[in-house]
Amino acid sequence: MGKLSVDFGMINSDNIEQLQPYLCSYIITKKTNENAQQQQQQQLKKINQACFPVAYGDSFYRDMAKKSDENLCKFAYYSGLAIGAICTRVEPIPDDPNGRSRLYIMTIGVLAAYRNHGIGSKMVESIMEYYENEKDGKLSTVDEIMVHTQTSNVDAMKFYMDRFGFEKGELVENYYKRIDPPHCYILRKKLR
Amino acid sequence: MSSDNPQQGQGRPLPKKEQDLFKNVVKFYESKNYKKGMKNADQILKRFPNHGETLCMKGLILNGMAISAVGGSKDKKREEGEEMKKEAVELVKRGLMMDMRSHVCWHVYGLLHRSSQNYTEAIKAYKQALRIDEENLQILRDMSLLQIQMRDLIGFKETRLRILTLRPSSKVHWLSYALSVHVNGDAEAAVGILDSYFGTLEEGCEEFQKNFESSELALYKNQLLSETKGEDEDGLGGVRKALEHLDEIETVVVDQTGWLKAKLSYQLQLGKFEDAKDTVFILFERGLTEEHRVHGAYMCALLKCDRATCLEVEKMKGTGTLVTLRPISEEERNILLDAYGSKHGLSKLYPRSNGIKRIYITILPTNGEEFKTAIDKYCQKQITKGVPSLGADLSSLYLMEDSLSSGSRLMLAADPLDVNAHPVHVLLVDLIEAYITSLSSNNSFPSGDGECPPSALLWAWYLRSILHEQVAEYAQGITLINKCIDHTPTAVDFYELKARLLEAGGDIQQAADVIDAGRDLDHQDRYINNQTTKTFLRAGRDEDAKKRIALFTREQGTPEQYLYDMQCAWYELELADLLRRKGEFGRSLRKYMAVVKHYEDYHEDQFDFHSYCIRKVTMRAYCDLLRFEDDLWGLPNYGRAAEEIVKIYLYIHDNPSALESDAEPDYSKMTPAERKKAKNMARKKKNAAGKGGSKSDTKSNSNGGSGNVKKSKPHAIDEDPSGKELLALNYLDEAKKYAAILARHSPKSVSSWALQYDVSVRRGKMLMGLQSLFKMKSIDSNCHQLFSRVVDFSRRLESRSSKCHDTSEEIISAEFPKLMGGNTLSEFVNSAIERVKSDAATDLPMRTAVAKAIVTLGEGSAPDSLSVILDSKLNCRCVNVDSCREALEFIASVGGDSGKGQFQALLVTKFPFLKDF
Repeated sequence: MGKLSVDFGMINSDNIEQLQPYLCSYIITKKTNENAQQQQQQQLKKINQACFPVAYGDSFYRDMAKKSDENLCKFAYYSGLAIGAICTRVEPIPDDPNGRSRLYIMTIGVLAAYRNHGIGSKMVESIMEYYENEKDGKLSTVDEIMVHTQTSNVDAMKFYMDRFGFEKGELVENYYKRIDPPHCYILRKKLR
Repeated sequence: MSSDNPQQGQGRPLPKKEQDLFKNVVKFYESKNYKKGMKNADQILKRFPNHGETLCMKGLILNGMAISAVGGSKDKKREEGEEMKKEAVELVKRGLMMDMRSHVCWHVYGLLHRSSQNYTEAIKAYKQALRIDEENLQILRDMSLLQIQMRDLIGFKETRLRILTLRPSSKVHWLSYALSVHVNGDAEAAVGILDSYFGTLEEGCEEFQKNFESSELALYKNQLLSETKGEDEDGLGGVRKALEHLDEIETVVVDQTGWLKAKLSYQLQLGKFEDAKDTVFILFERGLTEEHRVHGAYMCALLKCDRATCLEVEKMKGTGTLVTLRPISEEERNILLDAYGSKHGLSKLYPRSNGIKRIYITILPTNGEEFKTAIDKYCQKQITKGVPSLGADLSSLYLMEDSLSSGSRLMLAADPLDVNAHPVHVLLVDLIEAYITSLSSNNSFPSGDGECPPSALLWAWYLRSILHEQVAEYAQGITLINKCIDHTPTAVDFYELKARLLEAGGDIQQAADVIDAGRDLDHQDRYINNQTTKTFLRAGRDEDAKKRIALFTREQGTPEQYLYDMQCAWYELELADLLRRKGEFGRSLRKYMAVVKHYEDYHEDQFDFHSYCIRKVTMRAYCDLLRFEDDLWGLPNYGRAAEEIVKIYLYIHDNPSALESDAEPDYSKMTPAERKKAKNMARKKKNAAGKGGSKSDTKSNSNGGSGNVKKSKPHAIDEDPSGKELLALNYLDEAKKYAAILARHSPKSVSSWALQYDVSVRRGKMLMGLQSLFKMKSIDSNCHQLFSRVVDFSRRLESRSSKCHDTSEEIISAEFPKLMGGNTLSEFVNSAIERVKSDAATDLPMRTAVAKAIVTLGEGSAPDSLSVILDSKLNCRCVNVDSCREALEFIASVGGDSGKGQFQALLVTKFPFLKDF
């Protein structure tokens, strides 16, 4: 459906003008004031509530605002409305002898009405792009990117595997507490 | 110095050394270097402790220090300031007593009065000073400023003439004198003065070059010319001269747009329509295609309108043009369509102009196919783009004939009943319904060219929901807006609309919660924050409201203080309404008075412009300012505050017991039974609150004893937060004061005269009451306010104990029947009953008024009176939560439970979310 022109960047009056299908991202930064952070948490909450069967607690959003790297957490905007969000963090790979780490996509979601417009892909791509730019810098310890996917979520698996070359890893049983099926796969992609 | 110098030996005249010191004092005062000034003054006073002029100057300096102290925010400093002010007054008075023959002392005395805004006294003091020193320019100048501020126009003119005679070389004095003559209504003489001034100048000097000042002056003279009568028989000689004059000044004028607009206006007034069209196109070329006033003028030129219409169109605001002013004939319509069309009209010349496209739609006949196509295209574009204001934009197409002007003017349909019947609304509903069906099945518009963005359906739902809102279909509106919120829960607009629907549909509490949830999505948006605050206030939750508004006030000081300083009238009005509904009349009055104070401040603020504008030669803007200030008390926010002040005073005049019990839910004319019930309720509530511990609102209750002032933390300058001083005044006198201001400055509003009537009859001024009734009749002869007051008046005539003066009685008995169409009261009421019954759309307040009259006058049975209201099935005009509440109160008092039940059943159909009825 490739008629959307997709772009990332701060909202500013210049690109508001060209509202004809338009997408841009807004960044949760530590520098913005507390008020703005709260509001972004609210926006993120609304999107996540609409997209996921799992409810995240307030602490999830608080940590997000405090700890995360602004380049790894993005909103997707569509004609001025926030309609999707991705939250990624850098975490150490458990029990790794070399102390390497990975990118972990905690949540990624696009409101139902706006799916199939390549917005999710754009968000993942922006993470990949950031990695490419920073692989010898800030992200020099990162070896891979991974995500948990519910075993029933075939679409998501296709999305990661076909479009981004993720590989299906091990099955984690009873990963989710309140949804059925409770199991998930780990999908990962070696980045170097 | 003469021998009878009272200050001989007291330092008058001062020796050289002290004289120098005194000069320093004045200099330091003028440069606001108060401390040094004080030091010098004290030095003189050491030697001459009774030197009047020095004492006065010292007082003046102290006053200056006091003002800067009071201006500070700290309480302690403020108190000190007040003390200093008192001391300053004492000093000046003493100085004046010592030396009554010194113009300096009188001048200082005047300045002191001026600084406490006591202008009348200040002028007196200045005049006294001038008697001693006739040619003191400084005093003359100060006095002239006061005179224009006080609008002592004749005195102003005289003073300016004296100044000009003294100093004829100064440009400012010439301009001021010309202006003083102008404001006295003699534009012709003012032109003469300007000409004399030009005569004093040498050829080729800067005043004749092209620069801002000469340009403004030339345009001011031009404006004056247009206001003169001229010698021509049609009275347009002035305009003609002004038009010629424009050509003369073209080379010096820098404000070319202003110049062109003036030219356009003159050409239209003189009927030179072809020339006017040319001017319009020059303006368009300068980029004014989006300015509706230019379009209004263009239409006048196209249709060759008369002068009065042209002037009326010139004053229209916003997107108003000739086609929204009055109905146009088919012939006229065709001319306009041709001029705006895409064949060879404006749409072709300026294809990128939105204004022209939008105006074209307004001109199109609403029943035609072309209108449908145009509106379809317009909506599709805006929906694709996602424009939230589309609903409001389209509602300006609901034009209908204004019943008050008997069809010679247009107005916008606003009542749901009228909107529902309006062809444009019907058309829009069909159109948007079709969009929704088509968009939700295949994501494209019915005309089907290509796929739409996913947000198109969203905005179509949103628009449909607004269309529901416009015709009071709240439940349907909510269903759709909920769909929007599910679709995209991150957009603030949807929560706002949902809250609006809930509020209009009767559930203000939930509305407040919904809009607050929306506000949570965008903390930087002041608009939504203000809307949230407003909704909380309407829901009676003042603490929540304060928390929200505080997010946008500065941190130091209390939010209330900040909002007062920022002259945030809307907040104060809403808060005052809330307090009034709670029955805290003192506090409520206090807040309304805060708004009144803002307007006094606006009036005060013009002071600085009197000298500034003339110095900068912004004469045209200055004239506009003077006119604006004259109409200040007619502005809506002032009117709202003043009306409520009058109503509260009248209510507590009628119900002195209202002040004893704190909680009186509503003061608008309750029946005794209803009032009793309400009071019982209030008492119960109060007891409950008392048991629940000290809640914030019981703490802040107004009249609960003398010690509560400190406890409730009054903000710094508010010495009387509970409004006790206001409640100690004479109620009728206060009501009279504000009713008179309203009648004078908002004479076109029915409610101004209604209040004037209410105050007059309570003061026993029957004749004034009668006059108010006639005024109301001349504005709207069918309004319910008039009807109920005519009934009231005739009842008062019968029941009053004392008669008026004979002449008054004669007038009353001769004139009053005219209000009832020459009929008896009974016939008058019966004809109203007939009218209500024959016209199903008759508004609810009128129905309630008629029903009340039936009962009070015994013109029918209780069921008769009820049927006047119930027969409408509430499918009539002016059905809203407030009007229904009043109707319900009446019904409950007369019709008992069965009538009440019937009415409530109707209410539920109209207000699906209704609570607390």
